[in-house]
Amino acid sequence: MLKFDYNDTEKKTLRKMYWNSGLVFCSFNQVKMEANAFCLTMAPALDELYSDPKERNLALKRHDNFFNTHAVLFAFIAGIAYALEKDKMTKGGVDDDTIESIKVALMGPTAGIGDAFFFNCVRVIAAGIGIGLCTTGNILGTLLFVLLYGGSQLVARYYLLRMGYSMGTSFIDSLFGTGLMQSLTKSASILGIGMVGAMVATMVNVKLSLPISVGDTSVELFSIIDSIMPGLASVALFFYLMHLIKKGVRPIYLVIGILVAAIAISFIGSLLGA
Amino acid sequence: MIINGLLCALASILVNGVDRVLAWQTFTRPIVTAPITGLLLGDLTTGIIMGASLEAIFMGISAIGGSIPADATAASIVAVAMTILTGADVETGLALAMPIGTIMATVNELWKPVLCSFAPYWEHLAEEGKVSTLRWQSIFCGIFLDKLPAHLIMFIAVAFGIEGLESVINTLPAWVMSGFSAASGMMTAVGFAILGSMIWSGEVGGFFFVGFVLAKFLNMGTLPIAIILAVVAVMYFLNDKKILDAKNEAMAAAGSSSGTSGNDSEDFF
Repeated sequence: MLKFDYNDTEKKTLRKMYWNSGLVFCSFNQVKMEANAFCLTMAPALDELYSDPKERNLALKRHDNFFNTHAVLFAFIAGIAYALEKDKMTKGGVDDDTIESIKVALMGPTAGIGDAFFFNCVRVIAAGIGIGLCTTGNILGTLLFVLLYGGSQLVARYYLLRMGYSMGTSFIDSLFGTGLMQSLTKSASILGIGMVGAMVATMVNVKLSLPISVGDTSVELFSIIDSIMPGLASVALFFYLMHLIKKGVRPIYLVIGILVAAIAISFIGSLLGA
Repeated sequence: MIINGLLCALASILVNGVDRVLAWQTFTRPIVTAPITGLLLGDLTTGIIMGASLEAIFMGISAIGGSIPADATAASIVAVAMTILTGADVETGLALAMPIGTIMATVNELWKPVLCSFAPYWEHLAEEGKVSTLRWQSIFCGIFLDKLPAHLIMFIAVAFGIEGLESVINTLPAWVMSGFSAASGMMTAVGFAILGSMIWSGEVGGFFFVGFVLAKFLNMGTLPIAIILAVVAVMYFLNDKKILDAKNEAMAAAGSSSGTSGNDSEDFF
């Protein structure tokens, strides 16, 4: 059974985490998506757990990695991450890579569940009720929509954060001491790296066009690459970027490089196509 | 008209700001945006009635996966503003909504690389442990910067007319637009690459391709892919557990045979 009785420190941390978890879309960007909000949500937990500011900053940086899921289920993963960080500090059972892998493994499935439940179900029901009242000029329709769709998200986020924390705690406790933490890390990385593969397939687009004239006919370079294997360009881009990051190239140069290259290729493409 | 332009920009800031700070997608829905715009412009009833129609129009347009084909919020603000301010009938206002939404979605697309350029700055703040700076700057970014082009265009469109907006978009060469939208599609790969470099290892790396193929070739959603991968992960885990158990048992057996008899070890078999 999940335990929901917390001591005062935990309550305070969870409350702070809850408000910060609202900032999911605040500094959202295509490179790291919800990373800043996750970092901010974890900050109260890290403040509680880490006494050494240097280590705390390292942990903050770790939680500023790419992150993306549904805004409500976001809190569930943050709760689990809090439990994992706590275990790392108090018992040393988990390491940084495990925490990261578990986060990544949970992103995809929770996003799917969140979108299906809140966006495609609760929203449609709330809008249906709201539209009915609004067509007659009744403001109650708008208020009901906010209450049903917005309110349900606030309440769900509150409980999911606590549920994640409780589940994380009991889950780790049952694993700890059996020496299975390393196996868990490996399993979590299998799930994590597989989800990265799935997300690269669906979210990374190389939408460039570069016609190359061969004699009288012209062929489209990127559609040829795509016909060899759909998404081959995305995979190549991913591995090239990963190679550069492992070599220590800073992400800002990669972002600028991509922007310059994309506009340059698109310009050359328009010249060749004309 | 300048005042009305400012009021529409305020409506844009307000609905986007509330949604950003509470992690909602509620205030930016037409059913809320339209009444708020109506209220600010002094005709709440028109706003409510148009909100119902606009919500119905934009209901099917989903924002799943980050790409939005039309900006429902901006479309609602301009449509309501046009109806109330020019005295046009509701149908004309609604007809305006879709083209505005599509233009705004393009503008948002162009803005994305700019927002991306902040990423290293945010990381720097996290690295330095400047949490409160990160927090208030995030909130500021969410309310004002994130949809800055939308706020500005709401002002310009209502203050100076929609036609001007269209002509500006049309003067941009096509390659600039396609370059920007290609860049924002590829920038996502940077985040994944950072992530990949953290969890990649020779033993599990192959599963990257499993995930990729399932999503790309079989068009599977993230949930079924996660289930398949979870089954594999659990199998790995249980296998490891078996090996570990066997190892522990062998060690226990070796330990107990040399020491006291196995009375205290709880053997089920």
